[in-house]
Amino acid sequence: MSGKIKITIIEPSEIVTTGLKRLIEQNGSFNVVKTFSTLQEYGEMPNGNPDIIIINPMIVSDTGSSDPRSLLQANDNTAVMAINYGPYDEDAFRSYDGYISIFNTREQIEKRLSVAQKNTSDKETYDDSNELSLREREILTAVAKGKTNKEIADEFNISIHTVISHRKNISHKLGINSIAGLTIYAVMNKLLDVDDF
Amino acid sequence: MNNHIFTAKTKMAEIITDYSLLTIIDRLNIKLGFGDASIDEICRRHNLSTDLFMMICRVYAIDGFAPDISNLTKSDIPKLIGYLQRTHKYWIESFFPNLHTNIHTMLESCDERSAKILNKFYDDYDDEIQKHLDYEENTVFPYIISLGEGKKDLANKFRIKDFEENHSNIEEKLHDLKNIVIKYLPESASQQSRINVLNEIFKIENDLNKHSVIENKILIPLVSKYE
Repeated sequence: MSGKIKITIIEPSEIVTTGLKRLIEQNGSFNVVKTFSTLQEYGEMPNGNPDIIIINPMIVSDTGSSDPRSLLQANDNTAVMAINYGPYDEDAFRSYDGYISIFNTREQIEKRLSVAQKNTSDKETYDDSNELSLREREILTAVAKGKTNKEIADEFNISIHTVISHRKNISHKLGINSIAGLTIYAVMNKLLDVDDF
Repeated sequence: MNNHIFTAKTKMAEIITDYSLLTIIDRLNIKLGFGDASIDEICRRHNLSTDLFMMICRVYAIDGFAPDISNLTKSDIPKLIGYLQRTHKYWIESFFPNLHTNIHTMLESCDERSAKILNKFYDDYDDEIQKHLDYEENTVFPYIISLGEGKKDLANKFRIKDFEENHSNIEEKLHDLKNIVIKYLPESASQQSRINVLNEIFKIENDLNKHSVIENKILIPLVSKYE
């Protein structure tokens, strides 16, 4: 069994589960190790660190959660994928590492599984700490002072593209997108004086 | 609503299973006490298109739902506007004042520094909301209503695409405020008052998101069909 990509399916419909398992396993490199019909069943068993968890997204949205990874307590190198049943935007699956559609061909499904698995297992080098780097703190301070991307680029002698990429990382780390919100963070963390604005 | 597989023949009472669906029928002026009447029957009684009703329900019930407006017609426009106006009314008269009161209570227990900046942040946000809704109520909706009545005011240069381009995102700052209260406000701020603020935000977040979907993916494409 070693070397095979281990897959867990969480899906209430036995038809879907059985069909999906049959399709996936026709390719020798995938192995569906466990199937569950409810989240509760999944929770009662040790999850066995599969490489991929495929879950019906209704199960996730019914809990009110928008973060399937933490709901499933999945490991960082487990890819969490959704099954797309119909008229959904891709946007609906942004919180997943990928999705397969019930209208996909076997080849498409294999490809999507491989891509999601590869992207997730490569993620180890990704900086997951939410600490801002020194440079990010400097840029955040400048943003909070109301400087434009162009002004910041000139001040730090970097390209506008780099400024934008720093700003994206800052917002991602802090969970704050608006300039007003970033200013609050800067003041609370004493990067900026309260009288500065 | 757990089960989004409902049809026009489903009993209306069966789909009212959570807070958001209850809100929808109230905003569409549908009164409770359906007995065993179907969605179709109730909609007919209220002179409301079943397609429109089910579309709004699905927007709320299914995250990422992409509405298909091909069955909607001009006569759905006033109903849709009425729905959006009632939503705005609820936000302005009830939700935001409530949030405001809760935020003030929370800030009373904060250090002066945090209180000062958060106060300013919220006041600015309040202005932004007011402007956003005023624009819709005073410019966008009157234009759509007159269009629906068949009046083409050629002097009015406004077109629905201007709305599409100017439709700002009012969810962003609320999302930021939520994370600030959860992550960054110092521990000294009273726990209960923080929880009250967060509960208010959780209540409205989904409503704001779904409201944008209805405006961007139903209202705008529907109106542009008739321009």
